[in-house]
Amino acid sequence: MPVMEDRLENKTRMDATNVESPPDEKNRSLIKISDFDFFYGDKQALFDINMDIAEKEVTAFIGPSGCGKSTLLRCINRMNDLIEIARIGRGDVRVNGVDIYDPRVDATVLRKRVGMVFQKSNPFPKSIYENVVYGLRIQGISKKSVLDDAVEKCLKGAALWEEVSDRLDTSGLSLSGGQQQRLCIARALAVEPDILLMDEPCSALDPVATAKVEELIHSLKNDYTIVIVTHNMQQAARVSDRTAFFYMGKLIEMNATDQMFMSPNNEQTEAYISGRFG
Amino acid sequence: MSDQDPDSRYDLGSRQRSFLGLTKESALKGLFGGNAFVSILVLGLITFFLFKEGAGFFGQYREDLTTYRNSGLEYVELMREEQDALSALNRYLNSIRTLQSEQLSASGLEFRDVKAILRKDEAFFYDFEDLAYPLREHILEANEIVATARDSYNEMLDLQEHQQNLLKAGREDEAQNLTIPEVDLEMMFSLVKEKEVEFLAINRQLESGMPKLLDRAPEYDDSELSLKLARFKELASMFILEIPDYELKVVSWNRAESVSLGDAFTSFVFGKEWVTNSSIQDWYGIVPLFSGSLLVAFIAMCFAIPFGVGAAVYVNQVANPIEQNLIKPYIEFISAIPSVVIGFFGIAVFGTLLRTVSGWDALGWIEFFPLSERLTGFTAGCLLALMAIPTIFTLAEDALNNVPLAFREASMAMGSTKLQTIVRIIIPTALSGIISAVLLGFGRVIGETMVVLLCAGNRIEIPQISKGVGVFFEPVHTMTGIIAQELGEVVNGSLHYRALFVVGLTLFLISLLINYFAQKIVIKFQISRG
Repeated sequence: MPVMEDRLENKTRMDATNVESPPDEKNRSLIKISDFDFFYGDKQALFDINMDIAEKEVTAFIGPSGCGKSTLLRCINRMNDLIEIARIGRGDVRVNGVDIYDPRVDATVLRKRVGMVFQKSNPFPKSIYENVVYGLRIQGISKKSVLDDAVEKCLKGAALWEEVSDRLDTSGLSLSGGQQQRLCIARALAVEPDILLMDEPCSALDPVATAKVEELIHSLKNDYTIVIVTHNMQQAARVSDRTAFFYMGKLIEMNATDQMFMSPNNEQTEAYISGRFG
Repeated sequence: MSDQDPDSRYDLGSRQRSFLGLTKESALKGLFGGNAFVSILVLGLITFFLFKEGAGFFGQYREDLTTYRNSGLEYVELMREEQDALSALNRYLNSIRTLQSEQLSASGLEFRDVKAILRKDEAFFYDFEDLAYPLREHILEANEIVATARDSYNEMLDLQEHQQNLLKAGREDEAQNLTIPEVDLEMMFSLVKEKEVEFLAINRQLESGMPKLLDRAPEYDDSELSLKLARFKELASMFILEIPDYELKVVSWNRAESVSLGDAFTSFVFGKEWVTNSSIQDWYGIVPLFSGSLLVAFIAMCFAIPFGVGAAVYVNQVANPIEQNLIKPYIEFISAIPSVVIGFFGIAVFGTLLRTVSGWDALGWIEFFPLSERLTGFTAGCLLALMAIPTIFTLAEDALNNVPLAFREASMAMGSTKLQTIVRIIIPTALSGIISAVLLGFGRVIGETMVVLLCAGNRIEIPQISKGVGVFFEPVHTMTGIIAQELGEVVNGSLHYRALFVVGLTLFLISLLINYFAQKIVIKFQISRG
């Protein structure tokens, strides 16, 4: 199977660069979604989702357009709150054991723990420096040395430091598409989240930029729990440890990525990953 | 399709029916193009007309100023400066006396006793007044001569022009019959200049007489009075020292010095007086009108910016759909109110209300309260704000709407609150759009006529900044107001008529500049969003 070969090749390459990639040991579950129903107005978008997302692993959500994978992702940091008609029917989402839809939970505090990177890179029309420190500034941090350190650390973390360290004052919009997306990742890292949600982060990028972002995802895995939504199955195979397949708002199958792509349990999954529909 | 002859399917000529060589499409194109052409033409005509009527002003004003100088009116005016200074001293002195009489009355003395006490020092005050008498007489006499000379000179010019017109029309007999008196301005002025010796003598008399008189000044027990008197003495000594300056100006004044076009221009642009139908000399200085317009516009913007932009931010970012559907039409409806109705409201309700409120005891601590005027720059400014708010609101809301949703999402995803997102991301991103909205609102305010004409008080005077905040509560006149008020009553083609056109031209240029900058900013805004 070509997909698998691709995956294996990548795996070896990554192992070479990334010595301390996690062994087979089971990581503990950080996000737990149980019996979750979700609606946009009268239209049900998610049906009875149950899943565990493990700490410091990359989990990929795949599935055809409109299957609810992005919706579920946005439920994890309550970005769906911004949509007026969105509501939860049943069930809960727990992050580190806390029910995030509990009325006592402040969504802004939650979002500092659960960062997000969007499909279309959206740096603010400010300088690169200001883009990165935005998350700190809104927390009231204005000490120059702290901000400087954060900028360097986050840009290095997002593998962008080398390219932009000499022009931190230029507009974030002057960067190329791939650089902009990595800037957005750096910006998300500055808040020091535990979880990073990525909503099709490479869909607007060319293959070279995509490869860079994927490499970045690999290196971030050591410190962050990453959930990535992708249309691109090769990408899911390359970057993720576990994969969840959605169809029509339902979670069809979730398994270790190797397992999923080699021998899927479900017929629909197999049809989708082998390209027969979707 | 299969029935068709294959060749006829490839007849690729136009299928449109044409009428008189025009197809439907080209007719429509012509219609729209014609509309655009007509609007450009009209705009061009307006500009041309404004320039044509206004352009003659400076030449004509120059002639007018030349006559002013040649006839010697300027000379008399220079002497009058000294007289004015002297009158000011006299007024100050009288204020001391008024204060004294008030104090005495307040202390419970009988009217008769008050009079008796005042009479003691009376001689000093009368003598001081008499000091000014010779100068006043001298000036009156000189003025009489030069004003008559000027008037007959102007009459001569009119008659000459009339004669020219008659000749042009071919009515030569009539032209011959006109008797045109010869007026020699120089000769007339020499009558005045001859008496310059008298003027100098009057000054010597002042210089020697005034110090002596000051020594005779009464002494007061009351500290306030003696303070004022001391101040008066100081001012008087200053005046004595200044007499040579006044004199030098008069003596060195040169009748032959020509008035350049530049002088006419400066006299308009920096002229501090707008005086029309004066018996001495008309002045067309735009400064009082310009500053009045600016003052009213400033007050209006002080209110319109926070309300307009604030409402736009609220409606665009905070309000729920029901509020949006309520607020937006309401604010936009304000612009549907005719400005004369707003002005009427200003006179009948708002101005009166302001004055009543300013009379409240609780507000007595504000130094310029209670207000003596109902119609002031503030009244007009508040109402103009009402008219600028819809403009600013609508355009600022558009600018906010143009901020990509992605910015908001990215900001929220980093854990910022709604308020932080608005203040740190949405408003800065839309800022140039908001600024251009404000500029266009300013353009609306500076060009508004009816409200200022009705509510600004129409006093032609430069607002005095030295009054602090009180300056906002002074009646002012505006550029738009003066045109509306005076254009109906001026003689077509006269200097005054042209002056009003130049004021209109100035307004036109201001609007043009504002629109230009607003567009520049909008373009910059579009680029910055990538």
